[in-house]
Formats: sequence, structure tokens, C-alpha cells
Amino acid sequence: MSHSVPNPAPPLGELAARVERVTKSYGTGDAEVRALDDVTVGIPKGRFTAVMGPSGSGKSTLMHCMAGLDSVTAGQVFVGDVELTRLDDKRLTRLRRDRIGFIFQAFNLVPTLTALENITLPLDIAGRKADQAWLDTVIDTVGLRPRLKHRPSELSGGQQQRVACARALASRPGIIFADEPTGNLDSRSGAEVLGFLQSSVRDMGQTIVMVTHDPGAAAYADEVVFLQDGRIVDTMTAPTSEKVLERMKGFDLPKVVSE
Amino acid sequence: MMRKVTLRNLAAHKLRLVLTALSVILGVAFVAGTLIFTDTMNKTFDDIFADDGPPSVSVRGVSPVETFDETATPVPVPETLLDSLAKVPGVASVEGAVQGNAIIIDKEGDPIGGGGAPQFGFNWADDGTDDGDAWTMVAGRAPSGDGEVVIDLASAEKGGFTVGDRIKVAVAGSLQDVTISGVLDGTTGGATFVFWETPAAQKLLLAPGQFSSVTLKVASGGTEKELAERVAATLPDGLEAVTGEQMLEEERSDIDSLLGIMRGFLLAFALVSIVVGSFNIFNTFSMLVGQRTRELALLRAVGASRRQVILAVLGEAVAVGLVGSTLGLALGAGLAALLSAFFQTQGLDLSDGLAFTATPVIFSYLVGVVVTCVAAFFPALRASRIPPVAAMRDDVAPPQRSLRIRGIIGTAVALIGVLFLGLGLTGTGGTQETMSLLGVGVLLVWLAAAILAAVIGSPVVRVLAGWYPKAFGVAGKMAKENPGRNPRRTAVTAVALMIGLSLVTTVNVISSSLGATTDRMIDEQFGIDYAVASTSQQGLGPDLVKAVRELPGVVGVAEAGNGEFKLNGENTWYTAGDPRALLDAGNAEVVAGEAAAGGLLLSESTAKSAALKTGDTAQATFPDGKTETLTVTGVFTDNELIGDRLLSPEIWKAHTPRAMPNLLTVDTEKTDAATRKALDGVVDAYPGVMVQDQNDLKDQIQSQLDGFVLFFTLMLALSVIIAVFGVVNTIVLSVIERTRELGLLRAVGLSRQQLRGMVWLESIAIALFGGLLGIGLGVAFGAAIQQSLSEEINVLSIPVPFLIGCAVFSALVGFLASLWPAWRAGRMDVLQAIATQ
Repeated sequence: MSHSVPNPAPPLGELAARVERVTKSYGTGDAEVRALDDVTVGIPKGRFTAVMGPSGSGKSTLMHCMAGLDSVTAGQVFVGDVELTRLDDKRLTRLRRDRIGFIFQAFNLVPTLTALENITLPLDIAGRKADQAWLDTVIDTVGLRPRLKHRPSELSGGQQQRVACARALASRPGIIFADEPTGNLDSRSGAEVLGFLQSSVRDMGQTIVMVTHDPGAAAYADEVVFLQDGRIVDTMTAPTSEKVLERMKGFDLPKVVSE
Repeated sequence: MMRKVTLRNLAAHKLRLVLTALSVILGVAFVAGTLIFTDTMNKTFDDIFADDGPPSVSVRGVSPVETFDETATPVPVPETLLDSLAKVPGVASVEGAVQGNAIIIDKEGDPIGGGGAPQFGFNWADDGTDDGDAWTMVAGRAPSGDGEVVIDLASAEKGGFTVGDRIKVAVAGSLQDVTISGVLDGTTGGATFVFWETPAAQKLLLAPGQFSSVTLKVASGGTEKELAERVAATLPDGLEAVTGEQMLEEERSDIDSLLGIMRGFLLAFALVSIVVGSFNIFNTFSMLVGQRTRELALLRAVGASRRQVILAVLGEAVAVGLVGSTLGLALGAGLAALLSAFFQTQGLDLSDGLAFTATPVIFSYLVGVVVTCVAAFFPALRASRIPPVAAMRDDVAPPQRSLRIRGIIGTAVALIGVLFLGLGLTGTGGTQETMSLLGVGVLLVWLAAAILAAVIGSPVVRVLAGWYPKAFGVAGKMAKENPGRNPRRTAVTAVALMIGLSLVTTVNVISSSLGATTDRMIDEQFGIDYAVASTSQQGLGPDLVKAVRELPGVVGVAEAGNGEFKLNGENTWYTAGDPRALLDAGNAEVVAGEAAAGGLLLSESTAKSAALKTGDTAQATFPDGKTETLTVTGVFTDNELIGDRLLSPEIWKAHTPRAMPNLLTVDTEKTDAATRKALDGVVDAYPGVMVQDQNDLKDQIQSQLDGFVLFFTLMLALSVIIAVFGVVNTIVLSVIERTRELGLLRAVGLSRQQLRGMVWLESIAIALFGGLLGIGLGVAFGAAIQQSLSEEINVLSIPVPFLIGCAVFSALVGFLASLWPAWRAGRMDVLQAIATQ
């Protein structure tokens, strides 16, 4: 992106995205609620990072801010070398389209488009041609080839999420954000999707950030960042579900009643 | 409790309900406006007729023929009768009235008034007593001699005249130079008035020693009825005595029937708007119910009965109907005020202020509330059928019912409709039964189109929007598919637009065919170089006829007059003039007998329908009360310019006082500009007379047709506007329904502009579908009507540029209707949209 930031580029190293002293608050005065409180974190390139925390810990807000879906109250957000807080809606939209992939918990697909059309959606929006070889690789990896002509309503929940994964990968974005991607799936379908995300990091060098509250899901990640009350309280490398579960037990009871 | 639910829902869906209420408001406003306006007109005439003065009896001639010209006196009352009338016991006074046609000429030489409103000439009959009439002299004095007149104030103001001014008045086709001796003020209702001293009025307007009618005032102690009976006994044949009350009733009933027709006509258009509006209401309530499936199921689960659910939904409808009716009533009053103001500028004096009766109020609320409730009833019924278990289900969207039954019913209705159309078209054209068959057929096909729109909607829209994906990429692809996601809603939206456009198109096809037919007719039948025609009720005076005849370069002039008579009992028109000259002028051929004077010639079709042939005789009764036995001397090819009955001129003159031609056919040596200029120069001095060649006549007819089309289009415009609100409504709703999807699209990189473009394209496709459906039906109906009237309208002309204009208009409607919803959609917060449940 040529129209990037006037700031001198920060030392990048191997970071795909980072936030620096980011605060996000709602309301003012006594009613002020801090969803993120002075958070600084970097997302390493080519790694699978899980963001964990109890409900209301600010994990989703963190992801939304990093992905350019939400604005911050204070601090800076970088995707690659682009600082997001200075971009207008048009540039943010273009950044999301060209550099970021998304996988949401549900309602990931456009019902009027076929599976294939959903996969190439960001490319089509941009008016770019898909790299056919890469597209074939992605489609075969997620195992969707026989279902490409189907509409989302004709696919199972797991298949739908795999289409969403394929879409996120198709444009080879610098970073993929996944928000509880297995939250609505049974354990087998969930495992398929997670396994697929994991292999796209290992085999294709993709960078993925996944928000989850499921220790089992977090175990697929390379690193785990723990959030509580809008702050990063811990990190963990090479997690297992037992280790994550153990760490989660250490948290206080959530202050906000679950969603 | 359920009432609370109703109220909360009203508050929660303000926007949608405002759009729905708009449909009610506009429809009700049309109804209320029509009723208030016609009430106001009624009141105006009540005011005029309220001043009927003291009891009186009128003596007037009885004409066996109903004549069109209300200023004419077919059977006069001789002045000599006045003395004997005055001697009838119970008569307080006798006054003769002269009534005729007199046109005041303004300073530019143009006539004042006219255009539907009568231009009266009267005798000045102020006997000095206060007879309670509504007229007051505002300046000057009574007229005296041939050279002085009193005119009405409105005409004086229009012409910029005051007492003492010399003006020209056209009487019996000749111009009179007169001086204004006085100005009279009173409610004229748009008519113009000129008064002469009685002898002058008799000479100019009627005949010396004759009156149009005689008014007898009833002496105190007597009644109108008694006196009328007593007077009638003394009257010779051909005269009658009527009470003042009867006279009023006659005039009232004429006006009432006219107002009744006008009211019915406007209400028919209002009905179209209301039907279109009900589609919007139906759509909104369907959607409200659809979106609240879960909530309604929850209500059912916690114990609300079906009835309660229905009532909760209908409660909202009643509230919308009440609010819409109230605002519609107010808007209708505004419309009526505007209309009155417009008619004032057109010279129709209406009484000050609008008349408010209970009728518009009752009808406004009745229409508003009933229509809203009926339209909301089916959605309400559907709401009551939501099973309580739906509250627990995740898939909140109510299942779409299959369109198959709808397809079968629609096809069946369409087939029956086509059958009726076919029967109507193959039957003998023009008769009552054929037209009713055709009417039923048209109605059924229309209904079928409305039913089938949901079935054919998605495929047709997909075809119409087939080029979207190529041109606009993935946004275009989605825009192409979206209307098909809710085929019923798309259909109802499109059908609302279809209704207005199909009617406008039908009117245009018929008018265009009429235009083509008359063009062809004029080409074939206008066998002369020029026509000099009178546009007023006065004929062409002898001076003018002489001047035209004597004009250098004029080689032939034939005079044509017309009148009404009863031919073998049937009240009808005839043309009078030299048969040979007129048949030549009209390029008509004699098919039987000969073009000889002395009798009656008939057109082929009339001869056939009246079962008359050459040599037969027919009884003709004229307005003067006399009957003659006419011999059919010949039969000619049907001709629009001549008409169906051509009467020998001397017979016409014998039965018509002051018979004057109203058309001269003129043949000239050359048809160049100089000849035309010379002719125009002669005619210019005579107001209401014009020279026409073939093209002028075509233009004149075309402009009449244009006026007629414009009127219909304006009347239907409101229904189209309401349909546009329907499109806005549908697009707003479909955007709201798809909030999450749109949020997702924005998240993965669809720009605001692309999103808006997608909404525009979707709306354009829906509107274009409705437009094309309407245009197609309109062309079909127009063609069907033309075919059934093929004897009168023998050319079918499809106004292609107009149809293309309609299609472009529909697309534009789609675009404009989606501007605001698209703008809203573009502004939506991405994160909130994704999080929407």
C-alpha cells in the first residue's frame, strides 16, 4: 500500500500486526468501561496465535481493533507497516479487502453466492483475478471441490466454516482473524476446521489470530495470549488444552455475566 | 398486556410504519380531496340557487328534441301572449326574458370566457322592484337602444373594461359595436353575461316580438303550483307552464348529475391509489410479522391465543390507519383548496372557503382504517399460525410457502381471462356484451399478472439483471439474485408499480391509435384546401361567409351547418348543407341513390343500422316541435367529417331560427402562404373562428388527445408515487433484513460505494420488472380495446418512444427509491451489523 503512514516504520522483525498502548473505552466519567486498558502486543508472522480470556475480558474488542473493524480510544494499531488509526473508511475497507482475512463464528457466507463465489468474494470485490494454482491448493486442502457449485444453505455447518476458511486464505492476506470459528460447530467439525487452520500456518506460512474461550481450540495454536479485564495477563507458547485449562482456572470469576 | 405489545411494536418500527402510513395518507388524501372539492362545488351551486326570489311560474316552449346548446331557444313565446297572461287571476306581474349567445371580445380581439362555460346574452329586465336576485349594479345604469349593454363584473375585469368603454360583442356570427352602460356583480360560475334593452335583445338574440320564456310572479296568497295549473290551461300548444321550484330542480339535477359523474370519476382514480397503497401495507405487515416470528412464538408459548396474536397485529394496523386517515384528511383538504384555487384562475367562481360536511371525514376514516386492516389481515393470520415451538428454534425466518399453488391459480385465472378477451374480440365489435366480455377479460388478466408476479418475478428479474455480474462484478451478481430471495415481496412491490403504469400505457396506446386513426381519416376524407370553422356556439355570420366567398383566389365554398332532431324517435345530430359539395369535400362516394337535395342522405353504416334504404321515408321531429317526413335520397360511404346524416339545407333552415353554417369548406386556386394569409386576415376579425388545413386539423385533434392523456396521467401519478414509496419500503426492509450479510460484506472489503451500488441495482431490477409488466399489460389491453372498437379506431399504433420512456422511468424510479435506503445501508456500522442477531 503506497498511501501508508507518515510515521517512520517501526522495527518490524517478524510481526504481522501489533497494537501499542491501545485503550478502548465506552462511555465517559463514572460510566466509563474500559474494554482494553493500555494493551501492547505483537502478532508474530507465520504463527497461529490464540487470544483467550473469559467473557468480557476484551478479547473480541482486541481482535476488532486489530482488524480495523473498530476504532481505538488511544494508542496505535499496525497491520504490517500500516497504522490503522489514521485511515479513513475507504482506506480501511481497502486494507481489510487486500490484507486481512476474516472468519466469523456464524453467518460467514453470502446466501446468494455459491461456495466458490463466496471463496473468491474479496478478490471479486477488488476486481482482481484469483491465482488459480493457489486457489486449487486452498480448495483441495479444505476438501471442498465437489461442493463448489452449492449454495451455503446446501452445506453443513462444518462445510460452511471451511468455505469461510478458504475465503480467508484465497487472497493470501497478511493476516487472518478468526472470531470463535468453531463456536457453532460440533466437536468433529470443529476439529477439522482447527486442523485446517493449523496446517495453513505450518504448511503455507499463513499468520492467524484466533479469538476463543475453548481451551481445546487454543491447543491448536502456537502461542496463546491471555486477557483479563482488558489487560494482557499472560502468554503461553506450545499450549496444550490441559495447560490452558489450568491457566484459565487461575482467573478471577468474570465480572460481567456471560453473554 | 397484548395492547402493550402492540404499542411497543409501533414505537419500535417507527420508520416502517411511517412509510406505510404515507401510503394510507396519500390514498385517503385523494378520496378526501375529491369529496371536499365536490362538496365545495355543490355548495357553490347551492348558494347560486338559494337566491331563487319570490314564487313564480315560467312559461316556455316545449321542445321535443333535447338540444345541446343551452343558450338556444328552439320554441319561443310570442310577446303578444303577455297581455293575456297578465290577465290570468293570481298573476302579480309578467316579464319576458330573452336568452341567447353573446360573446364579449377583449382588447386583443379574443373572446372572453367560453371553454365549456356558457356565454349568455340577455334582455335587461330590471323592473325596478327588488326581486331578490343575486345581482347588484356596481356601476353605471341600464342599457338603452341597440348600442348599449350591461356586462358582468368578472368579464369587465378580465377585459379591463369600465362604464363608457366601447367594446365589440359577437352575436349570431356578427360583430356589434356597443358601449358599456353599466356593470353588474353576481356569482357567475364562470359564465359571461351581456344585457341589452329588451327590443334590442329580441332583435339580436332571438327575433322581434319573441321571448325565450315569460316569468309570472305569483300574487300574494297564491301558490306556484296553483298558478301553473291555471296558466297552463290558457296556453296554446307547444308552450308549458312550470313552477319556479321545478325550474330549480331541473337545473340542479343537471348540475348534480354532472358533479356526480365528476366525483365518481375522481374516486375511481383514488381507488387505484388505494389499491396500490394496500399493497405497501400488506408488504410492511408481512415483513413485520416475519421479523417478529420468534417474539410472536414466544407470546404463543407463554399462553397468548391465536386470536390475541391476530388482534395484536390488527391493533397496529388500526393505529396506522387512524393516523394515516387523519393526516390524509388534512392533506385532502389542502388538495381541495389547491384545486379550488386552480379552478378560480380558470374562471370558475367557487364560493369562498371549502365546504366541510361529514361525508369526507367518515369516508376518510372508513377507507384508511378498513383498507389498512384488510391488507394487514393476511399477515396477521400468518402470525397466528406461527407454532409456539418456533420460539425455541434457531432458524427464525418463517418458511417460505411453495409458489406452486399460486402458479396454478394464476395460470387458471390468466387462461379464463384470455378466454374472455378472445370471446370479446371475436364477437361483433362495439356492442355492450363485447365490451363487458372484454372488461372482465382485462380484469382477470390483470389479476392473474398480480398473482403470477411472484412466480415469474425471480426468473424475469434474473434475466433483466443478467448483465449486472459482467458489468458490476460480484456486487452485480448479488444484486441480481437478491430480488429472488423473497419473491412475494418483490412481486407485491413490482405489482404496485405495474398498476399505475399499465393504466397509463393503456391510455397512451388508445390515444396513439386514435391519433393515427384520425390522421388517416383526415388524409382520406379532408378533400378540400381549407376549412373555416366556428369554435363557439355561434355560427358563421353572413358577413364572414360573404367575405370568404369574395376573397380572390377562392374558387369554391360550401356551407355546412348542424343541428339535432329526432329521427324515427332517436335523438341525434345531423349535418346540413349542399349534398354534392359536402360529399365532394369529404371525399365520400354515393353508394346508392344520388347526392340530391330535398331529403336526407345517410352513411352506409347508419343506413344499415336504421334499416333504411334509398327511397324509404323517415319521421324527423325538429326542436321547433314540427315533424316532417323525410325521404332518403341517397347513401354514402362512412365519413367522419360529414357525419352520418346529411340533411338538405332548406329543411334545416325551415326548422332552425337564424340558421347559420358552422363550417365552410374552401377550395382555392393555390394553397400557398399568401392564400392562407388572406384567409386568416378575413377570419381574424371574428372571434372563435379559425382557418384550418389538413395539418392544422390533425394538430388540433392531437392536442385534444394530448390533453386527455395528460389528465389521465396526472390522475394516475399519485398511484405511481405511492408505488415508489412501496419500492423504498421494500428496499429499506430488505437492507434491514440483511444487516448481518451486509456487515460481512463490508468486513471482507466491500466499499460503501459498492454496497450502495448493489442496493441501487437491486431496486432498479425490481422497479424495471414492475414497469415492464405494466407496459406489457398496458399494450395488451390497449390493443384489445382498439381491436374491439376497430370500426371506430381502425389503426393500432403502439407509441414506442413513450413505452421506452416508461421503461426508463421505471428504472429511474428504482434508482431514486433506493437512494435513501442505500445511503443508510452504506453508513451502517460494520461491527454492529455483524453482531446483529
